[in-house]
Amino acid sequence: MTQTDRHEHGGCWHCGEAIPAGVEIQADIGGRARAMCCHGCQTVATLIDSAGLTRYYDFRDALPERPEGAAEASARDFLAWDRPAVREHYGHADCDGLLRLSLVLENVHCAACAWLIQRFVGSLDGVAELRVDVADGRAHLRFDSERTPLSEIAARLATLGYRPHLDSPEAGVARNQSERRQMLKYIVVAGLGMMQVMSFALSKYIGAWQGLDAQTERFFVLISMVVAVPVCLYAGQIFYTSAWRTLRQGRMGMDVPVAAAMLLALFSSVFITLFGQGDVYFDSVVMFIFFLLLGRYAVLVARQNAGQLQSALARSLPVQARRLTEGGSEMVALIELAAGDRLQVSAGETVPADGVIESGTVMVDESLLSGESIPRRRSAGERVLAGSLVRDGQMTLAIENLGQATVLSGIVRLLDQARTFKPRMARMADHLASWFVAFVLTGAAVAGMVWWQIDPSRSLPVVLAVLVVSCPCALALGTPVALAAAARGFARLGVLISRPDTLELLPKISHVVLDKTGTLTRPDMRVAEVRVVDGIDDDRARLLAGRLERVSRHPVATAFARFDDGAAIDQAEVVTAAGVAGRQHGVDYRLGKPAFVAEWLGEVPVEPGDGQWIALASRAQLLAWFRVDSPLRDGAHELIAELKAAGLTVWLASGDRSENVDAVARELGIEHTRAACSPADKLELVRSLQAAGKRVAMVGDGINDAPVLAGADVSLALSEGADIARTQADLVITGKDLSRVSAAFGLAPRVRRIVRQNLAWAFSYNITALPFAAAGFVPPWLAAIGMSASSLLVVLNGQRLARQQRPRKTATGAHPIEPMPSRPAAST
Amino acid sequence: MNIIYVLIPLSIILMVLAIAFFFWAVRNDQFDDLDTPALDILDEDEADSKPDSTDPDSKQG
Repeated sequence: MTQTDRHEHGGCWHCGEAIPAGVEIQADIGGRARAMCCHGCQTVATLIDSAGLTRYYDFRDALPERPEGAAEASARDFLAWDRPAVREHYGHADCDGLLRLSLVLENVHCAACAWLIQRFVGSLDGVAELRVDVADGRAHLRFDSERTPLSEIAARLATLGYRPHLDSPEAGVARNQSERRQMLKYIVVAGLGMMQVMSFALSKYIGAWQGLDAQTERFFVLISMVVAVPVCLYAGQIFYTSAWRTLRQGRMGMDVPVAAAMLLALFSSVFITLFGQGDVYFDSVVMFIFFLLLGRYAVLVARQNAGQLQSALARSLPVQARRLTEGGSEMVALIELAAGDRLQVSAGETVPADGVIESGTVMVDESLLSGESIPRRRSAGERVLAGSLVRDGQMTLAIENLGQATVLSGIVRLLDQARTFKPRMARMADHLASWFVAFVLTGAAVAGMVWWQIDPSRSLPVVLAVLVVSCPCALALGTPVALAAAARGFARLGVLISRPDTLELLPKISHVVLDKTGTLTRPDMRVAEVRVVDGIDDDRARLLAGRLERVSRHPVATAFARFDDGAAIDQAEVVTAAGVAGRQHGVDYRLGKPAFVAEWLGEVPVEPGDGQWIALASRAQLLAWFRVDSPLRDGAHELIAELKAAGLTVWLASGDRSENVDAVARELGIEHTRAACSPADKLELVRSLQAAGKRVAMVGDGINDAPVLAGADVSLALSEGADIARTQADLVITGKDLSRVSAAFGLAPRVRRIVRQNLAWAFSYNITALPFAAAGFVPPWLAAIGMSASSLLVVLNGQRLARQQRPRKTATGAHPIEPMPSRPAAST
Repeated sequence: MNIIYVLIPLSIILMVLAIAFFFWAVRNDQFDDLDTPALDILDEDEADSKPDSTDPDSKQG
């Protein structure tokens, strides 16, 4: 059996994955033949080329996921989306009679994706508007559903590899958007206001030099006040409300001294302008607000981009279901289903709701829910759960529970609870900050009182300078800014980070718990060994098995798919939970479990060794044995070696049978294993390690791992697995190469170093500046500049993490994710 | 110097107008997508790439 050779040439032109040995697929892109790794990529690339959109390959700065399944999606797969119920529930008609609707798309990575979608789908007849939001992967459509049905749009998106999901009208997205817009407004008002007020202040300072008459000077002060007061009251709102909120809860937030400084400076300046004598600080206040807002905006955008919890539930359910009616059947959308409805579910489809089988026998793959990789047999009277995949057979199902009441959604809730346990770090930072704030406020008050004794006119400037110069914003910005930049750097490596603060924890990890199925091993199977018994040679046995397995959808069939040469087989049939049967050149063959061929041979043949064996037999005799297993992913050996070299303890925990788990552990050199684990057992394992004072990282995939992922200190998921894990893990590894996991572990210390530099700088700056300000050496305007410069420095230092990541990749031997070589725009 | 009593209030009125215009732009989704418009300008052979287009953009090219 040849292994895939990932060091071979540049990888797939479309998705960048290594091209398996023996695969020679090409596509004609822009007039040149390009190597492709699979038919899926070939389909998509050809499609892009034929639409004249090959510039996508020039624009993109992130590689797409490998499209699942080679077949083009057809509008039939989304037929139920054209039903009125869907239009009413998810969309709304606007004044032109066009339908407005949002779709959540998978795999939208960069602006080039949005560009491609806009060109490819936006050009459909009747699509008036299509806007793709790269940040949250949503497409906002306005179209004429009479001219182009939604199903066709959805099919086009799915064909390109951006599988669409209906977007339940949720408050979250709208809130994110209005938050961003509100911040933009604040920033622009503060920015324009700052320019105005600064120009007045500057004229006043220069005027003071050149001898400005008192009346003009007074005019400048008054006009500064007229501009500054509304600007500060409007643009500073978020600071006042946030400070008020924390105060009302009896706590000291970061915003308390900030808001205090702003309001104190503003109102004392107003008072001085109207009634008194002395300096005013309108320019300092507006500048202060502007720079703080810039920092807050950066943090807001980073947070929103990171934390998109998309409707996880909807993603793991099918888009439509076949409902049985009195006269026949109809395709309906999931929202139309009700308890008691009867559904027909066939091989290859996902069960849309929990229910009881009324008739039929199926093999269901419940790996999403239980982690068990081998499909189970379910027949009439037994329950099947939403989210499980029917591998084989067909059934009629009576719905018991839907939507929120399903087991699947219970797991999702369990997950949410596990997540709320986490933010220990955040609480600690808040706690520290409140002490710091209390310290600053006291310091400012003491300095003010002392100066009142010495020189009452300098008391106010000193208080302001202390409040402003010790503004903990560099302290507060240091970590999030560095983490946001690191997230961008990691994304280039093929590692997406959904919770940036976990990067801080990654270098402290002492134990790594790995899932087996779908994480260390690939989800598809392969033939590891062939043993010919009699009357047939190796190649013929493989060929025959490949042809026979063609009809099966069982995972084992994926092992044989590459031997299939397409030659005809008569009377091919799948025998559920047993194997396949067929006739060729007048001879009947059976391929499957030993017990299945035993029906012909009269006795159960003895398996020739350990592992999972498939028997091939004719009516007369046993012909050959095939040992099938799930091959290890690329980079599995290197990953374990690197983790161990880094001094980490590696555990292997799996829901699979212990002989399979042990075999993998032996091959990879993992000492600690735990087999036949339920999700609860895995969580227990993680918790017990944590209780012993260890910090645990969990690497897994699939919804069954999700509670464990959430319970671990840091969780990593492989994006090839069930989508739900993608959105729930802290770090998401895209592609199929495990070396990216070790790359993530390798880069994390750098992140920690930069975060520490930032915190050290911010802290020492604040500590040194405070006495100077209290001593009266720092005027408020200088304090504002110093504070801004300090924050800026921290931001720039953090930005370093977004760069300098590329050379590492070649060092880990991994990935052709380098930017595609630029090529002539020779499409026409 | 008396001219500043006219010019400065005028500049403030202009600022208010600029802010009002910006608010209008924000409300009309102008700032929602800051990623893709950057690529549109690179798209030189748009006429070839969209034979069946109904998109108003292509009419310019």
